[in-house]
Amino acid sequence: MVSRNPEGLVEWVRSLPLASRGAESEIRVGAWMGIDAVFKLRIPKAYMHPRLDYVLRMSRTRREAKLLAKAHSLGARVPLLLGVFPSIGLIIMERIRGKVLRDAIREGSYRAEDLRMAGEVLGRLHDGWIAHGDPTTSNYIVSGERVYLIDFGLADKATSVEDLAVDIHLFRRSVESTHAVQARDILEHFLDGYLEAAPGLGERVIERAEEIRLRGRYVEERRRTVWAG
Amino acid sequence: MVSAATQSSSRRRSGNGGDLIVLGIESTAHTFGVGIVSSREPYILADARRQYKPKSGGILPREVAAFFSSVAGEVLEEALAQAGLTVRDVDGIAVALGPGMGPALRVGATVARALASRYRKPLVPVNHAVAHIEVARFVTGLRDPVAVYVAGGNTSILSYSEGRYRVFGETLDIALGNLLDTFAREVGIAPPYVSGGKHAVDKCAEGGDYIDGLPYVVKGQDVSYSGLLTAALRMARSGARLSDVCYTLREVAFSSIVEVGERCMAHTGRDSVVLTGGVAANKVLASKVALMAESRGARHGTVPPRLAGDNGVMIALTGALALAHGITIGVEEAVIRQRWRVDRVDVPWYPETLKDLSSG
Ligand SMILES: Nc1ncnc2c1ncn2[C@@H]1O[C@H](COP(=O)(O)OP(=O)(O)OP(=O)(O)O)[C@@H](O)[C@H]1O
Ligand SMILES: Nc1ncnc2c1ncn2[C@@H]1O[C@H](COP(=O)(O)OP(=O)(O)OP(=O)(O)O)[C@@H](O)[C@H]1O
Ligand SMILES: [Mg+2]
Ligand SMILES: [Mg+2]
Repeated sequence: MVSRNPEGLVEWVRSLPLASRGAESEIRVGAWMGIDAVFKLRIPKAYMHPRLDYVLRMSRTRREAKLLAKAHSLGARVPLLLGVFPSIGLIIMERIRGKVLRDAIREGSYRAEDLRMAGEVLGRLHDGWIAHGDPTTSNYIVSGERVYLIDFGLADKATSVEDLAVDIHLFRRSVESTHAVQARDILEHFLDGYLEAAPGLGERVIERAEEIRLRGRYVEERRRTVWAG
Repeated sequence: MVSAATQSSSRRRSGNGGDLIVLGIESTAHTFGVGIVSSREPYILADARRQYKPKSGGILPREVAAFFSSVAGEVLEEALAQAGLTVRDVDGIAVALGPGMGPALRVGATVARALASRYRKPLVPVNHAVAHIEVARFVTGLRDPVAVYVAGGNTSILSYSEGRYRVFGETLDIALGNLLDTFAREVGIAPPYVSGGKHAVDKCAEGGDYIDGLPYVVKGQDVSYSGLLTAALRMARSGARLSDVCYTLREVAFSSIVEVGERCMAHTGRDSVVLTGGVAANKVLASKVALMAESRGARHGTVPPRLAGDNGVMIALTGALALAHGITIGVEEAVIRQRWRVDRVDVPWYPETLKDLSSG
């Protein structure tokens, strides 16, 4: 049986089968209150100062839970939050069965509609002024006819168009680096769905994203701002 | 576009008994360097350079260019003397055409054009960022890595995909070297920025402790340092112990770039990572990269300080790979490209390195 004591909980979670490993977490699967669930446990990083590591794991866990719930209330397709234990870096959520979008694209098994829906989820979030913070193709799961957005550890409330534009910039760059050949097609469908879900605001965000992209490009300017100072 | 078949059949045979010898010129920023490499041991035949050192704060591109023009001749002579060669003996002249500062780049391009036309040598265009990755693949022997490229003007996470190096992450604002240099200058502990292999921020961090309060900003696979710089300066000016601020600034800045490197590894499924660029000379950063890799069961390597900062060797080495694949340009085409993105450059030699170029 599951003990209520956090240390005991970690032990129990670690006995569950490992389904995948993210950059910062172990993803294990099992039943939680009778629901098919995923246990996302943030693992300490040996290369960080322990204090920084602890603060980051705790705050990201807390933030992920909070914004997952908020996203859900905005009608965005995200896993249902089932539980959170910040002090041990554990989140429990609904398990989405399916395939990570990145893999679907790599295997050529994705549909234009999947990308449109991926854009739509992000559009819904943005329409509610939430920035995801890490919208790559490996943070979407294609499940049958639906597409879910996961991994809210870097999400945050947006206070400016710029905050939202960073998401679009990140998605574009991740597509261009990970799926260089299909990038144009992917972006087109994605932005279609995005604009549909965030009419008006969406256009401004996309425009701003282009500015961010140019800023990153001009290496020379970045150097001069400081060297000539 | 050249097809793969044409590329390999146009593989250049050199006049040096199966060896390929290339001279490379670097002049994108503060260093004027000439390197000479051979596709046979000992590979690096010459490494000559002069660095422009700003007297007070920042540097002006025009002053750098004037300095480069004044030292170009002697650096070239020195490199040839080290190698015991004349320009006639080399198979090609490689030059970093960008990205970088216009006036500085022009000096390198002018020297390269002059040598190529005077001695009728093929001219090979090299992208500076690609060269930082190539030298890392060469010295570490890790052929298909994630590259963490950290320098004064650049901070990015790169990896090969579909014929080119792709940018998986980068700084959204200032570069890591810039962050350290600017902080050090503003609080009065530099210049000199680096002495005895240590950055002023490292020296200041000795005896310091981690303190809460500096912003750790990772967005997806990108980092952002400008808020960190502002906050650290504010903290230093409001009376916090400078050693604590230096320690924490370094801890936050390094941890975040290593974290995005780790994300890229998870994302691409790569099992090795290399650290390159001027800031790769930092021992604290190198050990963080090593710890990250080890925790993932991945291999890792760091470019030794001498080759981590800007140098002519990495340009020559990349030029040799390009030349072997028939990538040359006419003298009139050799114009500088101040904003030349790394992901615009085909790297048909990948995953070959210099060591694969000799036939026998
Ligand atoms: N709710 C879920 N249902 C099904 N699978 C999931 C779920 N959450 C995560 N996963 C799986 O685990 C992987 C990693 O999860 P997640 O992205 O949340 O972890 P992470 O450590 O934050 O990763 P990264 O930051 O590298 O993207 C996902 O790519 C997915 O395959
Ligand atoms: N030991 C060290 N620790 C930290 N930073 C260092 C160290 N040694 C050098 N640096 C930094 O490296 C930077 C110089 O890098 P490099 O020689 O690659 O030139 P660059 O022109 O900045 O490079 P690029 O054009 O590739 O961006 C400077 O910011 C310098 O402070
Ligand atoms: Mg993820
Ligand atoms: Mg994540």
